[in-house]
Amino acid sequence: MLFSSIPFLYYFLPCVLILYVIAPKKFKNAVLLLTSLVFYGWGEPKYVLLMAVTIVIGYAAGLVIEKCIDTKPKAAKAVLIVAVCIFLGFLGYFKYANFFVENFVKLTGLDVKMLHIALPIGISFYTFQILSYCVDVYRKDVPAQKNVINLASYVTMFPQLIAGPIVRYADIALQLNDRKHTFAFVADGIRRFIIGLSKKVLLANILGEVCDAFKASDDKSVLFFWFYAVCYMLHVYFDFSGYSDMAIGLGHLFGFRFMENFNYPYISASATEFWRRWHMSLGSWFRDYVYIPLGGNRVSKARHCFNIFVVWMLTGFWHGADWVFIVWGVYFAVLLLIEKFFLLKYLKKTKVISHIYVLLMVLFSFVIFNAADMGEAVRYLGGLFGAGDYPLVSESFFWYLRNYAPVLLAGCIGATPLLRDACLKLQQKKTAGRVLNVLEPVVLVILLLLVTAYLVDGSYNPFLYFRF
Amino acid sequence: MNHSLKHKIISILFAVLLFGLSGVAVFREKDTYSETERRLMAQMPSVSVKTLLSGTFMTEFEEFTVDQFPLREQFRTVKALANKYLFAKSENNDIYIKDGYYAAIQYPQNEDSIAYAAKVFNSVYDRYFKDGNYNVYFSLIPDKNYFLQEDAKQLCIDYDRFEAAIQESMQRFEYIDIFDTLQIDDYYKTDTHWRQEAIRPTADALLQGMNAAQTAGLSYEMKELDVPFYGVYYGQAALPAEAETMYYADNALFDNVKVYDHENRKDIGVYDFEKANGKDPYELYLSGPLSLVTIENPDAATDRELFLFRDSFGSSIAPYFIDSYAKITLIDIRYLQSAMLGNFVDFTEGSDVLFLYSTMILNSSEVLK
Repeated sequence: MLFSSIPFLYYFLPCVLILYVIAPKKFKNAVLLLTSLVFYGWGEPKYVLLMAVTIVIGYAAGLVIEKCIDTKPKAAKAVLIVAVCIFLGFLGYFKYANFFVENFVKLTGLDVKMLHIALPIGISFYTFQILSYCVDVYRKDVPAQKNVINLASYVTMFPQLIAGPIVRYADIALQLNDRKHTFAFVADGIRRFIIGLSKKVLLANILGEVCDAFKASDDKSVLFFWFYAVCYMLHVYFDFSGYSDMAIGLGHLFGFRFMENFNYPYISASATEFWRRWHMSLGSWFRDYVYIPLGGNRVSKARHCFNIFVVWMLTGFWHGADWVFIVWGVYFAVLLLIEKFFLLKYLKKTKVISHIYVLLMVLFSFVIFNAADMGEAVRYLGGLFGAGDYPLVSESFFWYLRNYAPVLLAGCIGATPLLRDACLKLQQKKTAGRVLNVLEPVVLVILLLLVTAYLVDGSYNPFLYFRF
Repeated sequence: MNHSLKHKIISILFAVLLFGLSGVAVFREKDTYSETERRLMAQMPSVSVKTLLSGTFMTEFEEFTVDQFPLREQFRTVKALANKYLFAKSENNDIYIKDGYYAAIQYPQNEDSIAYAAKVFNSVYDRYFKDGNYNVYFSLIPDKNYFLQEDAKQLCIDYDRFEAAIQESMQRFEYIDIFDTLQIDDYYKTDTHWRQEAIRPTADALLQGMNAAQTAGLSYEMKELDVPFYGVYYGQAALPAEAETMYYADNALFDNVKVYDHENRKDIGVYDFEKANGKDPYELYLSGPLSLVTIENPDAATDRELFLFRDSFGSSIAPYFIDSYAKITLIDIRYLQSAMLGNFVDFTEGSDVLFLYSTMILNSSEVLK
């Protein structure tokens, strides 16, 4: 079930809110668990069991690890290794088996039957969450959760289950047992949810139409390639950050505070900064559970390069079982290494050029990211520079420019903190602040109704995260 | 307003909207048919272990919730207005409006579709007309984009290329060009179709192309239909529009003709006034989309026969052919397998055969069988 859908907004969410409000405090997590299972089962009924098995193993492993960690550290480590292997085994089988078999067949030419395994939605997110939980218990960063319902509520919690952010157990362990619900917190969640919903439906979906139309078009031109690339760059940002906003907002409705996932990444002045602002929960997960355990930067230069390379290759691979994503990850590894050892000091000196540089590098990266295969990635990158005998302009380019320029402009402004900063400044002035206070509920109602109108009449509402 | 009050207002407004619309959605009487969209509305799907596990229940439930959402028409209009005024888009649901004319974007030119249509027509030719003495004609009806393209600045197919492509694939058919006989005001503003009262010159051009004689000085009385007409694009565009007036061409010769609907095995009229008051008033003409209809004119001065392979445009132009033929057979291979035609139709030697299709059908010809 998508957040940006009528069944979720006007059927599922009201039911969950009613059940949650009327449930006594001690049953609130159980309500969240049950409704989350319905939410997940709605799209993936047969994979609820897989998630349940993952949770039970994580729960048992956490308890055993905590019990043994002081008295039998080797046993605790062994349990952790087994649990991690099982979790990664599930992920490897359901997400990557097709990819490996396909490449094995291509490489060897052997007649091996393809597995055709369907990817359970959200498996990458919940696997990383349960992994981090077990590792954190092993590291003694958090005590093991004694209540299986609480742990299951954490893993399955529907606001963040299928598209993140990757919530760490340590961040919400206390909230699982005790959380407050205030009007301020709830109103903040509602605002965040509606803004995220609007980003998804009114910007991401509309920009996504251009991207799909471009890919299907026989009337491509160099400027159309650039237009597509910019639209996709904004589409993927508003889609993903919109989902994260919705998740964070929904979290507030149920008393949870999830970590931020995006912080205006397109204003970055380097690729390094970009990754501190883009999908922050994934970046910090890889930093804490892969990069630092590998030695981080406190190793030889060669080893440091290797660590970065491994982390970014895995980051790319996490996004999808395809060479396109591996290349996308490696592309950033190379970029970050170049910045680290050479470019960063120059970028700091030239603000405008550094911003242009980041936008271009990210734009190229997303052209790769959205390609069906590496052949298309190369063709599209070439198309940006006139390779492939494309004309400079085409009729389709002008049509899409005319029809989508206002959305594109809104997207460009929305991708910067300009609007937020302006509101904050006005908020500090007495009269303007009062006007803003009155306007805010009105704008939120208008946005919700507008989004509803687009959902009632719209057919274009893709879900990007099915491959994550 | 202080922050505390604002938080309460936001929370209450959200709750009212969410629970209000949700409550109305659940308890309102469900619609069965949408007049504007001219389609049946999805109903609550049945629940079973099978539909739950396969996910079909979820898919159908989503369609149901969208179709049965309260104030659906108003929300659709809000979206259309937002697209037009907020996002400055020139189309909504691929429908654009130019000088009051609603048109669906026909783009890009679907070469595969044209090739498929040509393949179907050629197979009909090979199966029924190749070895006989038939005069086989083909004509293309331009859609409204042909006339609006220059001013509308919409993506549009190249009609010269389109015409050339289909002609190239149908060289055994004699082509009758009717593009020059038509102009934009020969079409309804909110519908795909042409106006019957405006296409006499087109009918004459076709008859002339087929060397079919007409009674000298034959004229038709244009009668007004007392039904407000909102075309198919009106519902798709979801924008307000004025109702149009429909006319039908009448002549005493229609009183004696026998029109037979082979699909439902019953006699019908040249005009179906019951259907004119139904879901689609355009079904006034020969009862709309029927797979096989014959019109016999006992008063015809000739014994010539016409086999008209047609889409919905054919229903309104066919009455103009009645005077020139003793028998007209209208065949719609969107609803009848062309390979099975021999079981239902006796193709008389020496007859005229006209394939009359709109560019819209040929550009999405998967409907042809």
